[in-house]
Order: sequence, then C-alpha cells, then structure tokens
Amino acid sequence: MNVLILGSGSSMGPHVVRALEEEYTLRLADVEVPSGGKHETCSVDLTNPDQVMAAAEGMDAIVNLTVVRNDRQLAFDVCARGCYHMMCAAVRHGIRRVINTGPHNMVQGPDYTRFDYDIDVDVPPHPGEMLYALSKAIGGETCRVFAENHDIHVIQFLFFGLANGDETWLDETVNIFPFLVAWSDAGQAFRCALRTDLSSLPSRFEVFSISAPFPHGQYRHGKATRLLGWEPVELFERCWRRRR
Amino acid sequence: MKILITSAQSRLSRSLARSLGERHEIVLTDRGGGPEGFPSTRCDLGHDPSTHDLVAGVDGIVHAVESEGRPTEQFDHATRCTYNLLRAAVEESVPRFVYLNSLDVMNGHGEDCLVFEFWRPVPTTDPGVLAGHLGEYVCREFSRSEGITAVSLRLGPIVWNGDDGVPLTSALFEDDAIQAVELALTTELTGWHTFHIQSAVPDARYLTCVAERMLGYQSRRSG
Repeated sequence: MNVLILGSGSSMGPHVVRALEEEYTLRLADVEVPSGGKHETCSVDLTNPDQVMAAAEGMDAIVNLTVVRNDRQLAFDVCARGCYHMMCAAVRHGIRRVINTGPHNMVQGPDYTRFDYDIDVDVPPHPGEMLYALSKAIGGETCRVFAENHDIHVIQFLFFGLANGDETWLDETVNIFPFLVAWSDAGQAFRCALRTDLSSLPSRFEVFSISAPFPHGQYRHGKATRLLGWEPVELFERCWRRRR
Repeated sequence: MKILITSAQSRLSRSLARSLGERHEIVLTDRGGGPEGFPSTRCDLGHDPSTHDLVAGVDGIVHAVESEGRPTEQFDHATRCTYNLLRAAVEESVPRFVYLNSLDVMNGHGEDCLVFEFWRPVPTTDPGVLAGHLGEYVCREFSRSEGITAVSLRLGPIVWNGDDGVPLTSALFEDDAIQAVELALTTELTGWHTFHIQSAVPDARYLTCVAERMLGYQSRRSG
C-alpha cells in the first residue's frame, strides 16, 4: 500500500514513519522537502491545490499530520483549506482511506470540558472560537462532508498530550492530561488505522481519541481499541497512581 | 442603523444596498473593490487593522460569502475571512451579525419532506454549498463562545425582480429576501439563530414558520 504522509516534518512525523515504514511504501511530504532516508520525498504546500493533487497521485491512503496553530492566515490555509485540497485530491485519485489529525478540542471544546465528564468522541463538535481548534474543526468538517458524499473513509484522530513515558515534566504536571499518549503508541495508532478493514467501521467518518486509558473519567477513551485494535503500551500510571 | 454589507460586487449585496439604503446608512465592502455606482471600501477581510476599521461603529453586518471565483478562494472567504470579520465584530462590539447562506445545504433531504431549521444540514462538496456550510459553522461557534447575536439566513435561489419563468419550489423573490435581511438586522434577538427563507410559491419545499414567528417574516409574493 502506498501512503502519502502530509506534514511528515511535524513533531509526530518521525514516530508515524517509524511505525509504518516496514509495511508500507511511504511518500513523505512537507512544505520544505523533508529528509526521508530510504523514502520518496516531495515538497508540498498545502495551500496549493495543484501540489497536493500531484503528491497524491498513485497513493492508496493519505495521512495528514500538518498543523499551524497561531498565525491566522496559515492556520486556516493549512488546517482548514489544506483539508479541502487533500479531500479533492482523494476524490480525483480514487483514494479511499484518509487519516486526519487534530487536537481534541476541535470536537470537545470548552463547552464540554468546562462542564462535563464522560465526554465521548462522538459528540457534536463544538470547538469554540479558539483559532487552532476552530481551524482544525473546519478541516475536520470538510473531511466529514466529503466522506458523506464520496466513497472515502476518513479516520479522524484526536490528540491532546503527547510524551515519552520517562519525561520528568510529567511528574510536575500530574492531573492536567487525562488525555495523553506516548509518541510511539501514537505512531502505532496509524498503523492500526491503515490495517483496519474499512467495511468494519460504522460509517465513512469515524472519530477516535488517541489516549492511554486514564481512570479520570473526563473523556471516554477506548473506541480506538474496540474498532481499530489499537492497544497503547505506555499507561502513564505514575501520573495518577498513588505511591505507597 | 449603520450596516456593513460584504461581497459588494454580488448582485444580492447590491440589491440589499439599494433597498436598505433608503432607510439605513450602508457601508459596502469587497475584497476586489466595490461596484460602480456605490460608495464602498476595499478590504481583504484579513487579520489586520483594516478589518477592525471597517466594522468599527456599525450596528450590524450582513456577510454574504463570495459565490464567484475559484473553489479554493470561496473556501477561504467563507472560513478565514468570516473568522476575521467575526473576531473584529466581537472586539468592536458590533451587536448583530447576519450571515447569508443558501437553502442548498438542506437539499439532500428528500423532496417529499417538509424541511425546517431543526433538520440537520446535508451539504454536498459543491464548492459553493460547502463554503456556505462552513461559514455558518464559524458563525455558530463564535455566537456560542463570544455571545455575539448571529443569524444565518438560509436563502432559496433568488428570483430577481423582472425575471420571468416558473420559480423553483424553494424560490425566493428578491423583495422577500430584502425583507428577511432587514428583519434579521432589526428584530430583537439574542444568541444564535438559523432561519429558512423562501417565498410562498406553490408547493413550497421549505417551511418558514420559524422565521414568521420570530422575525415576523411574511412572504409577499407567491409567483
């Protein structure tokens, strides 16, 4: 299977490449030509529909790791309009599997997190007006509309905290991340999403939280385990289990 | 009332400016400059002081998403520019924001259904329909988070004064469209609202009872 990774130069890129490179033929893309080792690479500016279209040719799946958080022009260009260009390319090239990524609050915004527990990934998205969350939510909604109208499956991953299990800052920020995953486990989630039989998914647009199964009960995790067979290894127990 | 109308080059914006201008002070703007015969201000609706300058002191904004141009530009105008305009409106304390969407976002429901505002939008990936839907999404989130009173009018395809032919079952006559926009600007409301607006044509497809009840909208033409 040929897989295009958009935003391969992002923080998550190397972890995803590491998880996929043994099984898949990868084409690594970023706005500046990424270092690809043995993999094919290309420069893709997501705001340029022609470049995105060309990069997607011959691919069987697209993984979108792109992100810009703080600049309004770039955030909308990359997080929102970039998804539009990506989905147009998927339609044109007959690509049936897209994995899109974003922060948890592109769905579970402050309207939920300030008030509720047991927050599911399948709630109606309410990102609020924060630039990062809303621009990513627009991208996600674009993917959803394309999936509803075309024979394309979009697997939408939500992330919050990412860390290695041995990082010392975790000791100081206990309790702030009831939504946290190890980088290596995150990479494995993409592998599971690429292996999943698309016909086994309930719909052509499915949202998954990618987090270790914390006991806090603020978020409901577990859908990725149930439907994609993803099992996180790092459980971050030292962040929440009492030491005796 | 001082009203800012965007997408000044569009036929609807010009029609609104002409009619509402009889009773209100109108400011027109467009990313490509205004139309001939209308005073207007060119503005990119970017993240810069010019967008704030544009909205400062206005009592209401009528934001019509551009329906011309390349799909990627329509998308940009509906999402980023709507965001910038709303951000400026919130920061300049503009009390009313009226977004002009299309009933096309509801066309995916069966033609045998009487569709009203509680039905879920079912946009297609047609660039104009998708852009209209996403712009409405931005407005909804701003209203929810920032408390600005925002109204989305989902308009039927407009039949311009003087046009002939049999109107579609979702048709909206020009005078009814103008009436609805003025009511959306002037009726006492708070929070977020969507209204379906079409004329009382035979076999009308979309119910307008919510607009009738909350805005006092009454279609004055049936064909």
